[in-house]
Amino acid sequence: MEEYDFIIIGAGSAGLPAAVYAARFRLKTLVIGEVVGGTIINTHIVENWPGVVSATGWDLMETLKKHVDANNVPVLDEKVLSVERKGPLNFIVKTSDKSFKAKTVLFATGTERKKLNVPGEKEFENKGVSYCAVCDGALFKNKEVAVIGGSDSAAKEALFLAEHASKVYIIHRGDKIRPEPINGERVKNNKKIELMLKKNVKEIFGDKMVKGVKFVEGGELKVEGVFVEIGANPNSGLAAKLGVKLNEKNEIIIDHESKTNIEGIFAAGDVADRHFKQAITGAAEGVIAAFSAYECINKNCAMEQQ
Amino acid sequence: MAAEKSTVLIYSTPTCVYCKMAKKFFAENGVEYKEFNVADDYEKAVEMIKKSGQQGVPVIDIGGKIIVGFDKNAIKEALGLN
Repeated sequence: MEEYDFIIIGAGSAGLPAAVYAARFRLKTLVIGEVVGGTIINTHIVENWPGVVSATGWDLMETLKKHVDANNVPVLDEKVLSVERKGPLNFIVKTSDKSFKAKTVLFATGTERKKLNVPGEKEFENKGVSYCAVCDGALFKNKEVAVIGGSDSAAKEALFLAEHASKVYIIHRGDKIRPEPINGERVKNNKKIELMLKKNVKEIFGDKMVKGVKFVEGGELKVEGVFVEIGANPNSGLAAKLGVKLNEKNEIIIDHESKTNIEGIFAAGDVADRHFKQAITGAAEGVIAAFSAYECINKNCAMEQQ
Repeated sequence: MAAEKSTVLIYSTPTCVYCKMAKKFFAENGVEYKEFNVADDYEKAVEMIKKSGQQGVPVIDIGGKIIVGFDKNAIKEALGLN
């Protein structure tokens, strides 16, 4: 069985920076991730990664991947099926066809998008219902579409869609949306975007393709595209099975050193319990985890008392 | 390599990352393909929806076998790679 000092699960904006640092600490490191680049590759434009004024999420992560390659850290694009603890600093990480031994493990597993769970959502997936404006938005040229959600991501999706669609409705259950103020201004100034607040979607309807949405509050809105952007759930299932402590949102609880309650297990990025989740904060947590793994292997491992 | 080469078509949009991943995969495996940008080409967009019964991209047509999304295993199987 191949043996590593540090196995990073997840190849996004937390996992890849961790790999760069781990290589510099001369830890024998392996990255295993289902989607190289992580969720940010579906972000059209990233403008808040310091040092890069503006880049697509895809290009930014290509650059980061090159940085990892330059440090000769292997990246496997596979799904991790289990992580088991065999003893102190002795873990087994399994994919569908391989097992690896690791002294330390970083969960940089990110999140999975939430679904609305209303009638019509599944039926019309890719038939008007989409979870990726950057992928599918261009197909809605001169059509009316809706974004469901009130986050910064929802606002950015609406701004991207407004480049193609004739009209973009942001449907949100709350009484105001909460984008980064800069994106809030852009939404406000975009004549194609209209807010529909205090509205809950109860159904997506159509025939072959989507025709519109119906509201709990009554009434309906005719649109040909529905983009669901209502947040995400942390991918913390594998960590939980190992006995890693989660908070009430199922996020992995970490300390200032990116340590979890289990010696040798770390977490970073969107799966961890930081309130303000950004690519750059995830990168920082990943980098700190690499240093903690280095110290853990060479000195001690205990989580700081809080 | 006795197997006959299938014609590979990919229906994509310029910003779709799974399309980029699929094209990268083709390039790495020396697979030639023809690409249609359905964001600009309305006729091809209609053709794609007709072929796949849906409008998510990418749609990949390998010798008549339709694959929706970047499903690496399905692509490998259709191409006879492994």
